[in-house]
Amino acid sequence: MSRQCKNCGGADIDTDPARGSAVCTACGSVLEDNIIVSEVQFVENSGGVSSAVGQFVSADGTSKAPVLGSGFHTSLGKESRAQTLQNGKRQIHNLGSQLQLNQHCLDTAFNFFKMVVSKHLTRGRKMTHVIAACLYLVCRTEGTPRILLTMIPRVNVYILGKTFLLLARELCINAPAVDPCLYIPRFAHMLEFGEKTHEVSMTALRLLQRMKRDWMHTGRRPSGLCGAALLVAARMHEFRRTVKEVISVVKVCEATLRKRLTEFEETPTSALTIDEFMRVDLEKECDPPSFVAGQKKVKMQQLEQELAKKLEEYQGEINSYRDEIETQLAASSRTKLRGIYASYAREDDDCGSLDSGMTGDEDLEDEEMEAAAQHLNQEFFSQVLEQGDQGGIKDQEGSRDTVPLSSQVTHVPMTALLGPLPSAASLGLTDSIRECITEEDMTNMEDQSKNGELDLDGIDEEEIEKYILNEIEVKAKTELWMKQNEEYLREQKEKEERIAKEKEEGTYKEKPKKSSKKREPILASTAGEAIEKMLEQKKISSKINYDVLRDLNSKGSGSNTTQQAEDVPASGSGRKKLTRRKKQPNKSNLGLAKPASLMGKRLRPLISSAPKKKRTAAKPITPSITMMLPPAAPEPPPAPTPPPVLESGPVAYDEPAEEEEENEEEAEVSCISAMELIGGNDYGCEAEEEEVF
Amino acid sequence: MEPSNDVALDIIITNVVSVFRTRCHLNLRTIGLEGSNVIYKPEMGKVLMKLRKPRITASIWSSGKIICTGATSEEEAKLGARRLARCLQKIGFKVRFSDFKVVNVLAVCSLPFQIRLIEFTKNNRPIASYEPELHPAATYRIKNLRSTVQVFSTGNITVTGKPLTAFAQYHFTTVIWVYLECTANTMTVEEPLDTMPVCNIY
Repeated sequence: MSRQCKNCGGADIDTDPARGSAVCTACGSVLEDNIIVSEVQFVENSGGVSSAVGQFVSADGTSKAPVLGSGFHTSLGKESRAQTLQNGKRQIHNLGSQLQLNQHCLDTAFNFFKMVVSKHLTRGRKMTHVIAACLYLVCRTEGTPRILLTMIPRVNVYILGKTFLLLARELCINAPAVDPCLYIPRFAHMLEFGEKTHEVSMTALRLLQRMKRDWMHTGRRPSGLCGAALLVAARMHEFRRTVKEVISVVKVCEATLRKRLTEFEETPTSALTIDEFMRVDLEKECDPPSFVAGQKKVKMQQLEQELAKKLEEYQGEINSYRDEIETQLAASSRTKLRGIYASYAREDDDCGSLDSGMTGDEDLEDEEMEAAAQHLNQEFFSQVLEQGDQGGIKDQEGSRDTVPLSSQVTHVPMTALLGPLPSAASLGLTDSIRECITEEDMTNMEDQSKNGELDLDGIDEEEIEKYILNEIEVKAKTELWMKQNEEYLREQKEKEERIAKEKEEGTYKEKPKKSSKKREPILASTAGEAIEKMLEQKKISSKINYDVLRDLNSKGSGSNTTQQAEDVPASGSGRKKLTRRKKQPNKSNLGLAKPASLMGKRLRPLISSAPKKKRTAAKPITPSITMMLPPAAPEPPPAPTPPPVLESGPVAYDEPAEEEEENEEEAEVSCISAMELIGGNDYGCEAEEEEVF
Repeated sequence: MEPSNDVALDIIITNVVSVFRTRCHLNLRTIGLEGSNVIYKPEMGKVLMKLRKPRITASIWSSGKIICTGATSEEEAKLGARRLARCLQKIGFKVRFSDFKVVNVLAVCSLPFQIRLIEFTKNNRPIASYEPELHPAATYRIKNLRSTVQVFSTGNITVTGKPLTAFAQYHFTTVIWVYLECTANTMTVEEPLDTMPVCNIY
């Protein structure tokens, strides 16, 4: 970068990076002192090892600001995202240390948390829940699961569980299922078996495996099973642990524990003695207990049904005798009918219970049954659906379709059914879905055509009359209801009185309704004005010197400027020091390209500390800057390509620089002038700060 | 594949939830005091009305929105909703019956074998999810049908979701059954199931 000397106007300026000074060779005056260079410096330690000077600053902008003594009050606030992450980290550490998780787990949890925050899943959820869910996720993936209930005391497990499921789904993490065996060592330790902890654990593990084989563990809370296993194991090894102690460790309730024990008692394993159990493993497996209970119920129902049937049969026999007698007396046509009925009766038995109203449709059924028996593919299904459609959509279709299907299924053996089913089913499904969707459209249209009139057929008026009470009843009910809800009514009255009083006094506060602030749309003639107005409305930061921005708008023009101005003030709100660039009167592509690219680099860390919105605005700018430069008028590059020179202190050369800048092309004005101007107003004279990349 | 005895699925629709609007403001207090089978909950701001004939429970809001639950088929739901509207009409409101829509259908099915949930979920990740600490069943969500299947280890399956028709749901459960057959479940060998429910779709 070459510029003119202030004193003599000479263009030959020697910049010494070692000393950090720029000296005019013509008159010898020192133009710049303590230039900041963008080189990495190395320092030698006492052991002879060189290391780079400076701190690593991450692109997230979450690093702590270097402490600079007293004059640095302005930029201690961090942006919201960094604060959230920091807060989350702290909470994770707190909770994790309570649960005795190692550092690796905590770091993983923090990574999960970062992912969650970046996906905006923390919104609307308590931070503690999200943290607990992250930690739980880590435990599960590591294979050392904790009980979800114990992560946070006194919180509803299902709420936590919901959060956890959501996280697992959004982060696409498949946590391996919880094995109750993993809990045993921890619980055994907590129950304090002393030296024999290991033995007791092994016994409990064996018990658990037995429980698994007996189908006791699917669908149950693993902690309950562990509790039962540990209790039995403890007793087997002559430790006295009461149910209460076990419960306090395992966090299930007494009833659950007792139930598990009873279930275990019902398995044949419980009949073994202790030694036998340790040696022998029974072959037979049991059914799950709820299944067994269900089976019992079903059996009882079946018995009842059979009894009922038998009763009916007897009655039926009597009736049939009666009918026979009658028909013997009547004409011959009836016998023919009876024959038909008999055949249908036979079919009835086969098909199970048909809808009683369907006897009229036998012919249709026959056809369908034949068709069904012949081919089990989508044509059939679509046929059935069509017939159903023709027959009358809403009421008939459901029952009609089910009837032929049911008959069809029982006539065809299951293997044949299952064979072509996967393909047929998928095809049939899509077909049926399509049909049903078109059906839905039709029904929707029908409903709309009804126009809200209440269709009164099928409604029994008398019964509805019963639903409404007469006057006496109404009075009685009113009294009752008033008595019941006295409290609530009283509260309502008090509330109203309170509101009335406050209204009179004038201190009535409207209930804080969540009404979004409706901002008027900004009407501005130029982009500059638009920015001004926006900044007035929405104070982005207290660290921006808005006066400068206004000057900026008066000087520069064009969207680039404004964009840049938007960008840079936002980035200026970061803690980083603003760098300013001096410009050369003769710009060259190369000369500019380098500082521009470096400026791009610098812009990026500056921008990254800015709010996200600005980031998107920034990104298109940096490429645009670099793009603008190549099409700039090519100028001969100065003989030495001077390294980019940045000023730190108040620059005496502002004015001529600005004037120069105005002569330059717009693109360059936009790139550089904004920063220059902002820096030029003594904003942030952080002379001591060094920016190292 | 399982042997060729006539094992068939027993799918029962147990609950149909529907909503409709009356297009007029309803005074809940009046309904609460004049109906014989209503419960008025002012804290919640709604009235619960129960009908006997189609067994239906309806939540009535003052804005005119009504949710009906408890019906066992879609036609029943509609019938019940209409009766309800008629009842409200008789109490004295200018009720119109509009925007009737069935919102959710719950069907229950019982398979004749047990299911190993852990293996089932492993094979069907991420569609299936199983958290024993939270719920005893594995939940299997199907996006394009917008329904959720809950698979219990005893072989019971519940299907909830937006209704297409009972037909489609039957289809759908057969597909699931086939799936289950093929994916890591076993009927315990010693288990001669003497209860073979005949296929009925109610």
